[in-house]
Amino acid sequence: MVTTDSNDILLHVDDLKMHFPIYRGVIQRQVGAVRAVDGISFDIKRGETLGLVGESGCGKSTAGRTILQLYKPTAGKVYFNGTDLVSLKTEEMRWIRRDIQMIFQDPYASLNPRMTVGQIVGEPLMVHGAMGGHELQERVKHLLDLVGLNPLFASRYPHEFSGGQRQRIGIARALALQPSFIVCDEPISALDVSIQAQVVNLLEELQSQFHLTYLFIAHDLSMVRHISDRVAVMYLGVLAEVASRDEIYMKPLHPYTQALLSAVPIPDPVADAKRARVILKGDVPSPANPPSGCRFRTRCPFAEEICSQSQPEFREIRPGHFVACFFAERFL
Amino acid sequence: MPDFILDVQGLETTFNTPEGIVHAVNGVSFGLAESETLGVVGESGCGKSVTMLSVLGLIPSPPGKVTAGTAYFTRKDLLKMSNAEIRQIRGAQIAMIFQDPMTSLNPVLTIGRQLEEPLMLHIGMTKNQARDRAAELLTMVGIPNAKERLNDYPHQYSGGMRQRVMIAMALSCSPQILIADEPTTALDVTIQAQITDLVKRLRDELGMAIIWITHDLGVVAGLAQRVLVMYGGFIIEEAPVNELYSNPEHPYTIGLLGSLPRVDEKERTKLFSIDGQPPLLYQKPSACPFAPRCKWALEHCWNEMPPLLNVGPEHRAACWVDTKTGRHR
Repeated sequence: MVTTDSNDILLHVDDLKMHFPIYRGVIQRQVGAVRAVDGISFDIKRGETLGLVGESGCGKSTAGRTILQLYKPTAGKVYFNGTDLVSLKTEEMRWIRRDIQMIFQDPYASLNPRMTVGQIVGEPLMVHGAMGGHELQERVKHLLDLVGLNPLFASRYPHEFSGGQRQRIGIARALALQPSFIVCDEPISALDVSIQAQVVNLLEELQSQFHLTYLFIAHDLSMVRHISDRVAVMYLGVLAEVASRDEIYMKPLHPYTQALLSAVPIPDPVADAKRARVILKGDVPSPANPPSGCRFRTRCPFAEEICSQSQPEFREIRPGHFVACFFAERFL
Repeated sequence: MPDFILDVQGLETTFNTPEGIVHAVNGVSFGLAESETLGVVGESGCGKSVTMLSVLGLIPSPPGKVTAGTAYFTRKDLLKMSNAEIRQIRGAQIAMIFQDPMTSLNPVLTIGRQLEEPLMLHIGMTKNQARDRAAELLTMVGIPNAKERLNDYPHQYSGGMRQRVMIAMALSCSPQILIADEPTTALDVTIQAQITDLVKRLRDELGMAIIWITHDLGVVAGLAQRVLVMYGGFIIEEAPVNELYSNPEHPYTIGLLGSLPRVDEKERTKLFSIDGQPPLLYQKPSACPFAPRCKWALEHCWNEMPPLLNVGPEHRAACWVDTKTGRHR
C-alpha cells in the first residue's frame, strides 16, 4: 500500500495476520481458527504517535504483540527500519528488541512482585547493556528521576506503590535501553482519571525529549485524540480506517468510525445534547466466525447487498486517508 | 427544598482491616427527589459505592460497619431496619445494578429462573405469571426472542446483554429508586451508548428516580440532572449538571474536568494533571482531604474540614477558598 524504503518510515506492517487455532475432540484436531488479526497494513513514521483504537476483541492488542514478534505471525511482514522482523532468527531478534519496547496495560501484573524496583528497571541494562555495579545503580536512579519517581525508591518492592506509580516504573523499564519505538498497550486504562493525565503528560514529555515513536493502543477515543498524530481504527481483525487525527475526528469516512465517535460521552452537558448520535445495534460478532464480505455489515446502518458478497478494499480515498468501505465517497 | 424520597444525613462507614480502620465514608448527606436522576462521581476509593451499599444494608459486617447517620425512605430509617425488613424494600422499592454483569448473575441458573425469583418473592406472582412477565421484561430491555432466551444460561449472553438482563431484573418490581453502580464501566463504548440510551428511555417511561454512580464525567453529563462529586469519603461539591460543568467551584472538580481529554477537542493542549495520590483514609480526615494535592490550599485548609457552603443557586462546594479570587471565602 505504501513504499517501504522511504526514510522517515520507522515501521511498515504489510498484510499481517495472526490466527489462533481452535482444537477440539479426543485427538485435538484443528477445527477452526480465531482470526484475531486478519490482514492489516499500515506505516508508522519516525517520531509520530499512531493511535490504534477499537473495542475489546477487535485484535488491537494482538496486533501490537504480533508486531513485536511476541507471537509468531500466521502471515505478513513487519519491517522495522527496513529489516523484516518476521524472518529474523531468535538471536537476531533479541538484538533488535533493545530498540523496541512495550508498556503493558496492567501495572499490577506486569511487574515481578519479588524484585525491587531497582532490579526491575535495571534488568534490561544487565541483559542487554552488560552494565553492572555503580554504573548500573546510577543509570537506574537517573531513569527513576526521569519518570518522576524518587530515586531512593529503587530498593522498594512493587506492592508499595500505587497504580500510577507502578505504571511509571513500567515506563522507566521500557526507557532503560533507549529504544526508538514503544508499543503502549492501553497504558492508562487501569488508572484513575486524575492519574491518567499524569501518565499521558509524562509519555508526551518523554517523546519530545527522546524522539520516541509510539504505537498507542487504546479504547478511549478521547485520549487517543489527545495523544495521536494519526489514528487507525480496527474492527474484528481488520482495519476500518486510517487517517490523520483531525481527519478521523472531523471527517470520519467509515460508518464504524462514525458510530464509535458518536458513542463517546462528552464531559459537557450542553455539547453532549447538541450532537447527533448513531447507536449501533447488536454486539461484535465472533472473530472465529466473522461475517462474509465486510465484517461490519451486520451492524452497519448503510449496509447493502454488495457488502455481504465481497470484502471492501482498504483504499486511499484522499491523500493519507485509508478506508475500507464501498460507500466511503458518500461521506466525503 | 423539594421533598426527598430518599434522605441521607451524616452517614459514616468504616472498615476494619489488618492495617487499621479505613474511614471510607465520613459524614455524607444528600437527598434524592422523586423521578430525579442523580449522578455520583468520584475516583476509586472515594466512597461512592460504599455510601450506596451502606444505605441498602449491603455492607459486609464485619469488617464493615455503618457507624453514624440516618437514611430515610418513605419516613422509615433504612439504617435501623432489621435484615428481614430491609429485604422487603431491597429489590422491590429500591433496586440496584452492579458494575460487573459477568459476576452478578448466577452462572448455574437460567436467565428466566433468575428473573422470576424477585417477581414471585416480592409481588407474589405464580410461576406462570412470573414466566410471562419475565419475557415481557426481556423484550422491554431489547432482547429479541425473549421467550426462548429465558431458558439460556448467563454464559450464552454477551456482556451488553447481561447488563440488559440486570436492568430488567432491577426494574421487575417497578422500584421507586434504581441505584446503578458503574453499570457501563465494563462495557465497550458502542454497548455503553446502547445501555445509557435504554436507561434514559425506561426512565422516561417508568418515571423512577435513578442514582448513577460512575467515575466517568462524560456519561453523567448526558444523563443526570444533578451531580454529587465525592473525594476522600466526603461530598465535596453538589450542583445541577449544567452548572457543575460550566462553573465548577471545588479545586478537585476543576482538576478532574481539566484532566479529561475531549473527543471534540480542537487544539492539542497539555492536560491539566492533579499531582499526588488520593488519600488512604486510615485516619478520619480532620481537615480538607484534598489539601495535599490542592494548588489553592491555605493554612485554614490544613486545620479544618470545610462544610458544604452555598456558592450559587443550588450549588454547594466544600472549600474554604474562592477559586476565582484565590482568597478565603
